[in-house]
Amino acid sequence: MSKMITLSVFRYEPGKDEKPSMQTFEVPMLKPGMKLLDALNYIKWEIDGTLSYRRSCGEGVCGSDGLNINGVNGLACITPIEGLKQPIHVRPLPSMQVIRDLVVDMDHFFDQYRQIKPWLQAESPLPEHERLQSPEDRERLDGSYECILCGCCTTSCPSWWWNGDRFLGPAALLQANRWIVDSRDEATGDRLDQVEDAFRLYRCHQIMNCMDACPKDLNPTAAIGHIKRKLVSRKS
Amino acid sequence: MRTVKEPGSAHGGLSDWYWQRLSAVVLAFLLPLSFLLMLMVFSGAVDQQGLLDILDHVASRVLHTLLILALMVHAYMGLKVILEDYVHMLAWRIPLIATMLVLMSGFGIWWLALIWAWA
Repeated sequence: MSKMITLSVFRYEPGKDEKPSMQTFEVPMLKPGMKLLDALNYIKWEIDGTLSYRRSCGEGVCGSDGLNINGVNGLACITPIEGLKQPIHVRPLPSMQVIRDLVVDMDHFFDQYRQIKPWLQAESPLPEHERLQSPEDRERLDGSYECILCGCCTTSCPSWWWNGDRFLGPAALLQANRWIVDSRDEATGDRLDQVEDAFRLYRCHQIMNCMDACPKDLNPTAAIGHIKRKLVSRKS
Repeated sequence: MRTVKEPGSAHGGLSDWYWQRLSAVVLAFLLPLSFLLMLMVFSGAVDQQGLLDILDHVASRVLHTLLILALMVHAYMGLKVILEDYVHMLAWRIPLIATMLVLMSGFGIWWLALIWAWA
């Protein structure tokens, strides 16, 4: 008989349940290197089909299954069961409105992403083929472009918990910096104008939960620091 | 279609952040000096008259003034950030920040008066 894993999973259906509860499940260790998503899939497919969670690619690329796992945000699909203390507490991303069980409302998160205008803005005429970039300039985007917008960083940030309506959060600011450092983008001034705000940018107090939570090992705190330095150098 | 309420940037915050860091650098240099002076007094290396001579010196008064100004600016910025973080109702937040500003200014002016013996 295979080894059993114990999970304690957050359950809540607003409108039906009076309050959230934790439900315990026993799942067999199906294979070595089994990931948390495999355990959730087992629960959904073999034990309780009503359990709701988001998933898609299953390999840490789509960013759908950001969850709070034993108190730390991460992606279920790339989090190995081995090494997790049992029972494994699986909760939705913190401070988010729960739609059902582990599914949260990401609308505000993506609204904030939209606010930093995450697209190339250039007024110079389009070259015949494409806007070229030197390998060195391209290298400056490393550490930013890999972001999959899973929301693990932003929802782990206490500043965002308290002031998420105004503070843009680490994920959006990492992307703001990605376009500020892009050699092809010509709207750096406008971008800096848009984040120069006591709440939108300066609510970041370098708590660094974001870099701790990021499943892609990115560093939003450093990106935010870079934006702050750009603002200082523009002023002084 | 969702309507996004987007208030935009208030184009502020940089000066607060800048002054908080600048005052921190001043404090990093001047606070250890005041602790050093206290250590010298407690160890007996400086007696009361020696302490008064040091504090009376014009260079000490200038450094002391800088220390108090940096301390007030730094504490005000830090406490303001804390109030902005946790007090969400504007009807509370703005009066609290204003009260803090008045109290700290009064305290700073009183201390400056002691340094320069105006009182």
